[in-house]
Amino acid sequence: MADSTKDKIKYRLLKLIDYSGFKVLDPPVRLAFGEEPQKQIRDIGRFMLLPILFVLLCIFLWSAVAPTHKTKSGAAPTPSQVWGAWQDNSRFGEREDEKLDDYELSGEKRLARIEEVTTRLTELEAESTELEKASTVATDKGNAITASTVAPYTSRLNKLKDEIKEAKASRKLALENLAEQVAARSASPQDMLALVVEQTQASDTEKEKKKIIDSQIKEIRDNPPESIKAAQLAANKTADEIQHFKKRLDILKNSNKEVKKESLLAKVATDEATLAASTETKEIISKSKSIVTNTKNAASVDDQKFAPTATIAWQTKRSLATVFVGFLIAAIIAIPVGIMCGLNKIVMACLTPIISIFRPVSPVVWLLIFQIVVGAFFLPDPAKHPLFTTLNQEYWFGWIKNPIAFLNTNPAMIFSACTVAMCALWPALVNTALGVSAIDKDHMNVARVLKLGFWSRLFKIVIPSSLPLVFAGLRISLGVGWMVLIAAEALSSSDGLGKFVWDEYQNGSSQSFANIILACFIVGIVGFFLDRVMIVLQRLVSFDDGSATA
Amino acid sequence: MSYLELKNVDVSFGPVSNRTEVLSDINLSVEENEFVAVIGFSGAGKSTLISLLAGLQEPTSGQVLMNGEPIKGPGPDLGMMFQNYSLLPWLTVNDNIELAVKTVFPKLTKGERRDKISHYVDMVKLSHAGDKLPHELSGGMRQRASLARTLSLDPKVLLLDEPLSALDALTRSELQDQILNIWETDKRTVVMITNDVDEAVLMADRIAPLTIGPKATLAEEFAVNMPRPRDRRTLNDHPEFMRLKTEITLFMMGLNKASQATRSIIDMPEIRPKDFSPPVAAPRLKNRSSQPTSAA
Repeated sequence: MADSTKDKIKYRLLKLIDYSGFKVLDPPVRLAFGEEPQKQIRDIGRFMLLPILFVLLCIFLWSAVAPTHKTKSGAAPTPSQVWGAWQDNSRFGEREDEKLDDYELSGEKRLARIEEVTTRLTELEAESTELEKASTVATDKGNAITASTVAPYTSRLNKLKDEIKEAKASRKLALENLAEQVAARSASPQDMLALVVEQTQASDTEKEKKKIIDSQIKEIRDNPPESIKAAQLAANKTADEIQHFKKRLDILKNSNKEVKKESLLAKVATDEATLAASTETKEIISKSKSIVTNTKNAASVDDQKFAPTATIAWQTKRSLATVFVGFLIAAIIAIPVGIMCGLNKIVMACLTPIISIFRPVSPVVWLLIFQIVVGAFFLPDPAKHPLFTTLNQEYWFGWIKNPIAFLNTNPAMIFSACTVAMCALWPALVNTALGVSAIDKDHMNVARVLKLGFWSRLFKIVIPSSLPLVFAGLRISLGVGWMVLIAAEALSSSDGLGKFVWDEYQNGSSQSFANIILACFIVGIVGFFLDRVMIVLQRLVSFDDGSATA
Repeated sequence: MSYLELKNVDVSFGPVSNRTEVLSDINLSVEENEFVAVIGFSGAGKSTLISLLAGLQEPTSGQVLMNGEPIKGPGPDLGMMFQNYSLLPWLTVNDNIELAVKTVFPKLTKGERRDKISHYVDMVKLSHAGDKLPHELSGGMRQRASLARTLSLDPKVLLLDEPLSALDALTRSELQDQILNIWETDKRTVVMITNDVDEAVLMADRIAPLTIGPKATLAEEFAVNMPRPRDRRTLNDHPEFMRLKTEITLFMMGLNKASQATRSIIDMPEIRPKDFSPPVAAPRLKNRSSQPTSAA
């Protein structure tokens, strides 16, 4: 009895693994249930450990090769630098979340938070002074080390300089002597020219020598001892943390939602008191005006949202939202049109030229076209277009919390989504048409015997039987869409991973290169999971064993 | 007047310039509640013949009549059971039958519909597998499900297109008995296509042999005058069964020979390849190294 439930769990797990397409996990699960341990261990070795080792080898090669490749923005980042970039980015994200939370807090909680932040700030400041001291000490020490390393080079350089001076003087003398001889016609002008050539060469050699020593000194100065870097980094990190906590305190005390509202209302109250007591016309006018504005502002505080910052998590979410919208548009167009193409040869013949001509067009071209064509709908002021004001409102009808307000939808996002839709359309369309036209003739005969009408034939026979191919097409579409999106975002400056990469490329800080590689990994991993989701969906609608889907 | 009738039916395919005449001058009449088997070699045009009866195919010339009226197209009255099951693979057995029942009897209430479905599923002894998808079933079970679906249409004529030819011998005889049982308790007109003489003699009242195509036509019929129910166990001792079986088999063999004899023989030129032995430098395949010598 116990065995059978165990088996049930096992097979359910195996089926789940099969459906999700993570075949790699099959041997460990079987091993955990004690099925043919030797075979499973061998499979784990071959299909899990070896691939992991291979990936590790790649990472090792990467970290070995990257530092040797110097680019104009520093050496290529190593895996550990990319990992550091990831940590920095996620810390940045956490801080933004903390700030947002601080902004929303109210009442007792806000006071408690102020307390908390202040305590932490004093702690950090104490820590910071220590670290600053340590950093100064380390810097001094490091500088001393550098100085002592540089000293022999400097003395050599000075010596060389003296030599050069002497040589120059003697050369000058020789030149003057020869010139006089030439003037007295006791030497030929050719001799003079030869001497000049010789002297120029000598001076060039001297310059070369000096340059070598200069660069050696520069090399030493540019690479201070690691101890300095570490101490400075620690100090900087704490300073950074202090900066963040100060900002938080500022938000909590001054720009918090509740505080803002209260201060506005307080202003209104004092103004009202002044207004009641005032006798000056000027003052009456100005106070009345200010009361009205401030009352209005106080009321709108609730509707205001904390401006989202471009954290990498937010960019990823926005990219996902954009690709989802684009993909949805593509599916809504492609599936019905594909079905029509599959059902009717004339429709197919009509659409074939359009499909063939527009399918190979680059996403960049589509983006530009959409910016002009779709952009026209948002004129004259895109920010005030009802589509965006609705989508970006914090509350709908005053009480439904808008779940996508944080996305900050804008025209650029729509253009990117349209570009994704345009490029993702084709695989879904072609596959749907194929799936519909390849329906088993026997199934159509069944429909004829049952005398099914057009619609029930469509919904009972045609669509179910073509679903596996439709989903295969949608899977390709989503892959294409995700790839196109990154390019479209970069080009249209629509916030998202594509813009993240583009901005990093443009701003060229020391961490940019690592951030670009990081974005590359995020794009890859998200794309991988999107594909997995589609595989699972495809498996769910497949009526045979589903072995056809790889 | 017969219940189901084919009158001087011709069927040909292809463009006018290159027409293939598949069936030619077919005449067949089936009485009500009669079980007729059409026997023929594969490729003779048997499936075309039954498609004509089902209304899935129109004759090039001639008439297909039911009750004296020409058949206008397919419909639930002409219950066709297809050679390769034709179950919708995304629906369970019950759902496959439900689709048929729902379409043909739209006025049934939910309960009545459920009763009807379970009635037919029980009839073919599939009640344990009603929730299974076709690909989870064996060939015999699929064919039974297909039979249940066809029966659930409550057709006036049951058309069986080689229903058992894809099954193994044991499953086949089991299903033969089931079909016969069902037919005997609930009589209706049946036309069955088969390529198995035993099956035809065991099941049918009358056997119509189809000659070999192209231009296949129906030869003289054999009447099976054996009492029903026919018992498979004693059948091999039944003189009538043995006689018919031998007679039909011999007739069919004769057809085959005749058709081979009529095929024109192409004269091959009198030439012989000179050397069969492989060239010395040719790479020799491991497994095939012995073949050239044995062929020679």
